[in-house]
Amino acid sequence: MVTDRIIFLFVALLSGMLTHAQIPTPALSQAKSILITGGTVHVGDGKVIDEGAVGFRDGRIDYVGFGYGVKAAYDTTINAKDQHIYPGFIVPDSPLGLIEIEQARATLDMRDVGQYEPELRSISAYKSDSRVTPTIRSNGVLLAQVAPRGLVIAGTSSVVQLDAWDSDGAIVKADDGVWMTWPAAYQRQGWWAEPGETDSEKKDERAKKIEELRTFFRKAKAYAAELKPSTIDARMEAMRGLFNGSKALFIRTDAAREITEAVLFAKAEGVKRTVIAGGYDAWRVADLLRDNQVDVILRRTHSLPMRPEDDIDMPYKLPALLKERGIRFCLGYTGDHEHAGARNLPFVAGTARAHGLSPEDALRTITLDAAAILGIDQRCGSLAVGKDATLIISAGDALDMRGNDVRLAFIQGRRISLDNHQKQLYRQYRKRLEGGQ
Amino acid sequence: MRKSLFAFLFAPLLALSQSTPPPAHVRDAAPTLIAFTNATLHTDARTVVKKATLIIRDGEVITIGDKVSIPPNAVVRDLNGLHIWPALIEPYSDLGLVASTPDERKAENRAARHWNAALRADAKAHELYKADAERSAKLREQGYALVIAHRMDGIARGTSAAIALNDEPAVKSIVAPDAAAHFSFRKGSSQDSYPGSLMGSIALLRQTLLDAKWYATLPQNRETDAVLLDLVRQIDGRMVCEASERNDVLRWSKLLREFQLTGIVKGAGDEYARLPEIKAVGMPLIVPFAQPEAYDVEDPYDALEVTYARLKHWELAMRNAYLLDSAEITFALTAHGRKELKDIWKDLRKLVANGLDSAKAIEKLTSEPARLFGLDSRYGALRPGMRASFLITSQHLLHEKNAIHETWVEGKRFVIDDPDKPRLAGSYDLNLGDAIWLLEVTGEAGKNEATVRRPDEADSLKVKARLDLQGRVVSLSFAPKGKPEEVTRLNGSVHGEGGVWDGQGQRPGGAWFAWSAVRRADSKQVKKDASTPLGASTKPDSAAARAKQVFGPITYPLVGYGWKDALLHETIVIRNATVWTNTAKGILRSADVLIHEGKVKAVGEKLDALALFPGKSKPAIAEIDGTGKHLTCGIVDEHSHIAIARGVNEGSHYNTSEVRIGDVINPDDVNIYRNLAGGVTTIQQLHGSANPIGGQSAVIKLRWGRSADSLVLSGARPRIKFALGENVKQSNWGPSSRFPQTRMGVEQAFYDAFHQARAYQAEHDRWSVLKPKERDGKAAPRRDLRMEALAEILRGERDISCHSYVQSEIAMLMHVADSMGFKVNTFTHILEGYKVAQAMKRHGASASTFSDWWAYKLEVNDAIPHNAALLHLNGVHTGINSDDAEMSRRLNQEAAKAVKYGGVSAEEAWKMVTLNPARMLGLDHRVGAVEPGKDADLVLWSADPLSIDARALSTWVDGVRYYDEARDREQRAWIATERDRITRAMMQAKADGAPSRKPGRERPRLWHCDDMGDDEYMMDEHDGH
Repeated sequence: MVTDRIIFLFVALLSGMLTHAQIPTPALSQAKSILITGGTVHVGDGKVIDEGAVGFRDGRIDYVGFGYGVKAAYDTTINAKDQHIYPGFIVPDSPLGLIEIEQARATLDMRDVGQYEPELRSISAYKSDSRVTPTIRSNGVLLAQVAPRGLVIAGTSSVVQLDAWDSDGAIVKADDGVWMTWPAAYQRQGWWAEPGETDSEKKDERAKKIEELRTFFRKAKAYAAELKPSTIDARMEAMRGLFNGSKALFIRTDAAREITEAVLFAKAEGVKRTVIAGGYDAWRVADLLRDNQVDVILRRTHSLPMRPEDDIDMPYKLPALLKERGIRFCLGYTGDHEHAGARNLPFVAGTARAHGLSPEDALRTITLDAAAILGIDQRCGSLAVGKDATLIISAGDALDMRGNDVRLAFIQGRRISLDNHQKQLYRQYRKRLEGGQ
Repeated sequence: MRKSLFAFLFAPLLALSQSTPPPAHVRDAAPTLIAFTNATLHTDARTVVKKATLIIRDGEVITIGDKVSIPPNAVVRDLNGLHIWPALIEPYSDLGLVASTPDERKAENRAARHWNAALRADAKAHELYKADAERSAKLREQGYALVIAHRMDGIARGTSAAIALNDEPAVKSIVAPDAAAHFSFRKGSSQDSYPGSLMGSIALLRQTLLDAKWYATLPQNRETDAVLLDLVRQIDGRMVCEASERNDVLRWSKLLREFQLTGIVKGAGDEYARLPEIKAVGMPLIVPFAQPEAYDVEDPYDALEVTYARLKHWELAMRNAYLLDSAEITFALTAHGRKELKDIWKDLRKLVANGLDSAKAIEKLTSEPARLFGLDSRYGALRPGMRASFLITSQHLLHEKNAIHETWVEGKRFVIDDPDKPRLAGSYDLNLGDAIWLLEVTGEAGKNEATVRRPDEADSLKVKARLDLQGRVVSLSFAPKGKPEEVTRLNGSVHGEGGVWDGQGQRPGGAWFAWSAVRRADSKQVKKDASTPLGASTKPDSAAARAKQVFGPITYPLVGYGWKDALLHETIVIRNATVWTNTAKGILRSADVLIHEGKVKAVGEKLDALALFPGKSKPAIAEIDGTGKHLTCGIVDEHSHIAIARGVNEGSHYNTSEVRIGDVINPDDVNIYRNLAGGVTTIQQLHGSANPIGGQSAVIKLRWGRSADSLVLSGARPRIKFALGENVKQSNWGPSSRFPQTRMGVEQAFYDAFHQARAYQAEHDRWSVLKPKERDGKAAPRRDLRMEALAEILRGERDISCHSYVQSEIAMLMHVADSMGFKVNTFTHILEGYKVAQAMKRHGASASTFSDWWAYKLEVNDAIPHNAALLHLNGVHTGINSDDAEMSRRLNQEAAKAVKYGGVSAEEAWKMVTLNPARMLGLDHRVGAVEPGKDADLVLWSADPLSIDARALSTWVDGVRYYDEARDREQRAWIATERDRITRAMMQAKADGAPSRKPGRERPRLWHCDDMGDDEYMMDEHDGH
């Protein structure tokens, strides 16, 4: 059973450092079969295998189990003793590849103008060679759902893997969902010395907005009933998938009243699959969500409570609250610095663990459950035979800052470079220091 | 005696004012003596004279008493059964003084006046006043006869005038010019960009007050400034300062005290939340007393959006007056800012129901405002010699059924609701000569409606009659049902109080006849007879109402998670914890730490705590088992913007070194508490990074619940914010033309500012060594606070935290500093610090950076998360900061990233959020380590503080446990209970008819480096730093 070559991890590390291009070159497809053995395998579905092994060839996993159970021969064996093997992490609802530098307008492609624009497709603007992406994946995030932002209907997202020559090559699932922002139920207001307006006029405005949305959806549904319409309407075409289940409707909203309204709206309009993004109050309306099989992409756990006297740890413990109530959810990283900050996705899961989720449940929120909610769990999200070999090896607990030390990462069996622009600068200046310059 | 009084009364009128135009006709010289008799006369809120006579002449009270002889030539009015009260005074009004138009401002700016248009001290109400008859009438209807009005526009707003609501020309209605000088923190209609924040407003006022004092000392003015000229006078007189919220009251007091001034503060009605502090400043107040609208909280989800602070305000707004009074704070009540003026009566009754003595309630509207403005010899009460401004009412002023019949202003009568007016309502026998019909009159006087029918007819056959009453002449016309052409028309007189009418009428066909109407004995009409006493004046029964009212406690601060009781420092020993000492001792695996009187008293293994207290009296020492837990010093955040009120940037000028965050600390920000829960105990509150030279920092400890001033860490070295790069050159904020626009310009901005400061310092140095004789006839050089802050830097008395990103600009500022002879204490953000680390080390600058932020703007494209490690390896004191209200409560996690990126040891990484920033702030002798003698700022963690699993279990500041996980859980439960209690009261109030509004979302603004403006609340997420 002993294979012809053994690569120790430090060798792997060294070879990684040899890459000097600014943007690491995408890896070639898996030519040789690989077995990772000796490490702790975190399957992603809640199971953990101590001294486990994961084997994969041609980009697909063909073995997951105890090290001693491996029967097949592999070209390469990687000894991952004392290391941890995880499925690649998945960041949902991200503008990664649509934003290069937040305050450089020319590099922004995440938000257009208009109101109801489902026809805007994120994949068409997705920059697969963004300088940000390599810094994300070197912390273990290997898949992203790239979603447009703003408007009432912002556009259509796609799921990508983070090591590709071009945007087409990055696609894991094209046009997976339409993104909508539910009209806010509560108007902003000042303090009592200068109260803002919260009048019936605003209320009417909102009712009007919702009515417009309803009209839009009804039109879209009628349009979808015709398979070959005589006149093509780009917006309506983009909506078609919502009514046959090929696309999900992602609705950004947080307050309980809004979530309820949004779920009932989608149901009434014949949307087959609805996901709430944000979902701060989702735990309050758990029955409704469960009854309608609505999943949640939960807002960043590293955020402030939405209301001044909410429990101060409310965002931290939301995952545990949702888990307790049987809602299927995954963790998002929306908010300030959301594109470059996505490398902290494992730590928002770690915080969920520190505040009530079991370690493997915390992992699920950025692996298998994320894949299921994005509709890619047939291929991704856990270490299972037949799935893509998209996984990482970390020297320690990858959900902790100090443990997260990704030594090797594979996307569809391809060993990707873990180098990035920032590590290059670090090496340069480390050398400068060592050289006494 | 009586004789001489009469002689006085009949003395010819001599007092023609100089402003009365010469007569154009035969003069009206008859004395206008009026005697009101048989009234229940309230000379003030506490003194009643029954069956009293009040004699007035020419707008003045001549005599008052129950045994007064009435001069024969007096016009007598019998007020039997009615009350007389001193008229109300509105102390805070803008009647007749609308904000200036842009055209007016242009004209004003051509005058010799101050460069800043928010300073309008030269605006004088008595010059600008334009009579507003409609508003005056509305005020009189509610019993006001006098207002103190000023133009509510700008920071220095000029003077107010006392204006009598007598509808006379301004010469006669303005009874006192220069009643007070008025100030606010709001710049009003000024189009100047400066000031653009609360701290800018305060700084501008501070400089201007200095200027005024200096201006007054000039032997010869080289220039004329109308604003300063007026200010010089105004600061010696009465000053009224406007506060937008409770903390502003303290801000005003602090500012005025710097100049040994005091004044009156117009509050926002939420003073109850900082009562002890407000009492301590000893300034009289003018406060509003409007009942806030309830919220629609029937829906439990909607109710979530109403904050506890808002619920409490709804509950306590009407208790404020009572609490102020109980604290013996002098105050007057204002109706300014109300939606409905007429609601004052309802609300006054609520003040009384909530505990305020009813006489006091009236005083706050009469004698108190008069006293505050020095008008009490003429207004606010009724005594001989005072002005004849009074009310004739049906009852006690606060009685629910009270009607104000007449408001007399300066001896001039305004009828609000004529007491002599006939009251027509009732059922009458209408004798038409050939038949007796039934007449029914309903409705209030003036709005009567009438129907008639034949007595034997069904009620359904009654017809509407047209009824019109003018004076005592009535006309009535009607036609039988279905025969509109058969109109009967009547005209006649109304007798007595309205029970008998008679006159002539014309029938269909034209025949005239005599008619009469007599009110039936069984009529439901309630008798309203001016000649019949209404009984004793009815005081609102407050005791019963008071007993019913339940108020929750007032917490400090009065927002969620405030304390019900004052917290005390503990004497406590934490045993067997892993102690991160940040000293040469390193991390102790199982050690005890004793804290006492706010300090760490001992650190060691198996401490015999009692033995550490020599002598006989031993304190009670509590113990905490720290087994499996970690104890550290508190986190020090070098870069924070929490707890700052109304604007973090005064970015309007490239140098705003005079503005002070210390002026605008917001002790009510819940983020203080949230930070404590993240183990943070000390923060530097920095000005933003909008301009090269920003404002002065405040260094505070998170003593949650204390007032703004008590948060300040006394003894901290003064600091200031500088900034470089894209923010200060305004790269990302749309078109702008303010200098500088390049990094080249930024450099020159610094050089120019410091050259100026040097020259400034030299001028003052020269002056300071002059002998008194040599100073003769010369003026001292002007003090310029902007220059003084820079001079302090040059003298090494003020340390800099400089926002910086790229290598070139970091090097540039160090060159500027080296050539000018000062040091840059700390570069903050400093994301390219790793590129110039050696130069920084040579200069002696520290670095306070982000753990892993980048890609948010072009200048952070080379930002790397290994920055902290590289700086550290280069020997630069390195810290990791937040600049973010969310991240600041997880700085322990951010420190751990220095281990992840670059391999810093855990102990050194921990120092990056504690000891190292403490050093930068010059506070390492007090905070940043766990050792005897240091402040007991400690955090007990559930796990290794650098691990993702760590939670702060308890946080002490100065030995006071301001955060405790177990207590936090109790707080939550308590907040829920309180919310429930007030929510239910709110629903009850709404059910009882109180107006209500839909809840909105309250989202206090979280400040970042590059946030402009002073709007406290925002909706949108905000990127940048």
